[in-house]
Amino acid sequence: MSELVETVSTLPAPTLADPRPRVAAALADDAQLIAACRRGEARAMEMLYHQYKRRVFGMAHRIVGSSDAEEVAQEVFVRIFRALERFRGDSALSTWIYRLTVNASLSHLAKRGRRHEVGDDTLGELPAPPATERDPGLASRIEAALALLPAGYRAILVLHDVEGLSHEECAAILECRVGTSKSQQHKARARIREILGPQLHGHRDTKDGT
Amino acid sequence: MSCDDVRPRLSGYLDGDLDPERGSVVRGHLRTCEACRQIATDEAALRDRLRELAPVDPPASMWAGIQARLAKEEVAHSQRPAWRRALARWAPAAPRFAAGGLLAAAAVALLVWRAQGGPDAAKPVMPDQAPIAASSPTKVTGPTQVVVGADSSTDVTADLATEAARVTATYADAAEELLELAGEARGRWTTEQKDAFDAHVVDLRASITAAAEGRPRQRAWRELIRYLQGAVVRDDITLAGVSQ
Ligand SMILES: [Zn+2]
Repeated sequence: MSELVETVSTLPAPTLADPRPRVAAALADDAQLIAACRRGEARAMEMLYHQYKRRVFGMAHRIVGSSDAEEVAQEVFVRIFRALERFRGDSALSTWIYRLTVNASLSHLAKRGRRHEVGDDTLGELPAPPATERDPGLASRIEAALALLPAGYRAILVLHDVEGLSHEECAAILECRVGTSKSQQHKARARIREILGPQLHGHRDTKDGT
Repeated sequence: MSCDDVRPRLSGYLDGDLDPERGSVVRGHLRTCEACRQIATDEAALRDRLRELAPVDPPASMWAGIQARLAKEEVAHSQRPAWRRALARWAPAAPRFAAGGLLAAAAVALLVWRAQGGPDAAKPVMPDQAPIAASSPTKVTGPTQVVVGADSSTDVTADLATEAARVTATYADAAEELLELAGEARGRWTTEQKDAFDAHVVDLRASITAAAEGRPRQRAWRELIRYLQGAVVRDDITLAGVSQ
């Protein structure tokens, strides 16, 4: 019986749904910003840049790696500003920008070929398992494990799990079905759990032992 | 529910994506199955750690780099012939029809037309535009848009009609733009050329109206666009020949 109580208290729980930004308000703000950018207003362009720089650079960084991230992110922003006049505003600006970023990152990888692909070398560089669950080194090990995944898995994990987008948004960005987004994310998580192994839970083994 | 049924649903369960009934079934299984609970615990830890990953700041120099590239591209763009600028504008905007048939067809059309002796036939078609074509803003509204709240198995077919209408609108835009360009070039044409052009455009427009909706009509639109491209390009060649 005490076993059941313990079980209930440690049952992993679903996340509470993130409060989504008010879509209509966001779209209206986007429309204003886009209009100003189209008129070539330097301040608006810089504003748009600062609004999206972390998302674009972070995404590129995690998909193509640190050495090429700036090049890809720059290319994305150039495309954003050059193509903005064709943006019809019938989707969120962020969806479109994420899509440009994912596509630019993936096509950059394809162009680069396999010469820079991470492999066993990177595995060897993974730091030792953590002593405690919450040590800051875990973040860098997760980043390293991310880098070992196939690029498509990296993209879905960053979009859904790091950036916190819904599967509907991911599907719109990746141009796939919602079901595909879900199953890819599931597989990607399974792969990264496999790579990380017990590192995710510094304390679990000891608890199981008691 | 067996372990095999539960495990593919764990990600959805932990993300709060399952409906209450399914969520409750998964939860019930987790209470009694140590193996699945272990996986769920791992997965929940992973979910939390991924969400906590720090944002990555770009180097401070990035904005300057972007501005420099924009300036360079604008200069290059202004030096392109008008018909290339027009194509660059509409080609990336062509939406992709469900499985990409339209975009592929458009790309083939462009390649064929270039191979037949466009002014710089040896160069690839707008290599700088290709990546944009794969990620055009308008395509965000493609079949995937309906997925919001829809069952994943119905998301493509349900929107085909809307998509077809959008495709047509895109063709109409492209044709209009090319017609405008042809209009600019018109002053340099002979009377025979003008008459032939007008007659042919009327014919092609008539066959668009006559064509059945869907693929046949799109084919008719492409015919018109191809013809207009030809007219604009031929004029471009003529001009080059005169000026040299
Ligand atoms: Zn089980």
